[in-house]
Amino acid sequence: MKDTRASNLWKPDAPPNERLAVWALVVPPVVVFVLVLILTAGAAPAADRTAALIIVACATSVAVAAAVSVRVVRHMRAVERQRDAFYQEFARLSKLASLGEASCSIAHDLNNPLAIMNEEVGWLQDLLNGTDTDEEVTRREFASSVEQVQIQIGRCREIARRMLTWTRDPEEPSGQVEINRLLTKTLYLVETELVATGVHVVKHLDPELPAVTGGSAELRQVLLNLMKNALDAMKGVGGTLAITTARIGDTVRITIADSGPGIRSELMDRIFEPFFTTKGEEHGNGLGLTISLWITQRLGGRIDVESTPGSGSAFHVTLPIARSLARPTHIEDAE
Amino acid sequence: MTNVKLLLVDDEARFVETLSKRLTARGYDVEGALSGPEALARLGARPFDVVLLDVWMPGMDGLEVLKQIRRLHPSVRVVLVSGNASITAAVEGIRLGATDYLLKPVEIEDVMAKVEEAFEKKRIEETDETE
Repeated sequence: MKDTRASNLWKPDAPPNERLAVWALVVPPVVVFVLVLILTAGAAPAADRTAALIIVACATSVAVAAAVSVRVVRHMRAVERQRDAFYQEFARLSKLASLGEASCSIAHDLNNPLAIMNEEVGWLQDLLNGTDTDEEVTRREFASSVEQVQIQIGRCREIARRMLTWTRDPEEPSGQVEINRLLTKTLYLVETELVATGVHVVKHLDPELPAVTGGSAELRQVLLNLMKNALDAMKGVGGTLAITTARIGDTVRITIADSGPGIRSELMDRIFEPFFTTKGEEHGNGLGLTISLWITQRLGGRIDVESTPGSGSAFHVTLPIARSLARPTHIEDAE
Repeated sequence: MTNVKLLLVDDEARFVETLSKRLTARGYDVEGALSGPEALARLGARPFDVVLLDVWMPGMDGLEVLKQIRRLHPSVRVVLVSGNASITAAVEGIRLGATDYLLKPVEIEDVMAKVEEAFEKKRIEETDETE
């Protein structure tokens, strides 16, 4: 059965401030009504007394509710500020963590061609030090090793080029971001994991996709979180990571879908909650989706989830297109 | 030092090819495999003393292959080789029964030293068992 849920910001089960506001509206009129009823019993005709009582009760209620509301609003704003500060700090830290992970992956990517070059050079030394007199064989071996070193230099050059395209992203919180390019670059960051997990990528990117407003660094974090979740869902079994972009009205919709086991329907409402994770404490802190949603909402967007148990999940990130549709200038052409 | 039967497992074909040539030139009996399943098939086909095993391979990763080797061929010694200086993988590998750990790029002298050490451990173990 397909389960579709829209995102909602995390709310504790019964917010105490909202409860307080409800009591502030209900309790004072009842108390005032009863008090005045007792004090004025027998002093005026029943109808006049009731009308007067209702007016006094309502006025009291509004006054008390207003006073409480001001405090409630102030308190809620403070809580919101604290939450924003926490998420902001966490987003900064997880960006550092993904840089750490990326450097681990770069080290691995670089060490493989280096290891091959090391062997080729070693083999050339072996040939130079050897006593093999077959000149033709030695010449062929030399040519083959030199060619191989050139091939591996090409691999290293490609890795360096990729690293440069990441660091060219500016960190300004505003500006325009071209989502298709950002998606391609973000995919580089998970390339090693893609190969290791046997996941293949299917891209359907709308070539006419307009730019969106936002910081490329924070949006990349959203995309990276969703891609990593998708890969985790397919760990050990492989599958397909489908990435789709489309313009829908005045918005851009990015869909990141996996072919994993899907999300159990009883967990669907909880996946955006902070610290909620199904990956176990060692592998997830339960903040990836919370932060992704927070970033997306701050940019005026939303995240919707579709999941079919047994055949995967799709996360749709919808973002408003940039007000000015001028071609973005701050993401360099990676190709 | 010679006659050690060595299986070299890595998804980088050229790495397997050239390191095999160099080790063969130094008197080792070397075969190569480009994936976990291929390595397991070769181990099932003939005996080996030591396996040089890449940790990070597509499909079945090195640690999974290590588990299978330990289960199916417990007398074979495994030396892990990784392009990633991750201490976690090394610790996990040793916990799963690997004899040692090498970091890419590897120097041929280091490879030989680790292989000899692993072979020596295997030999002592076998002598103990027969006594």
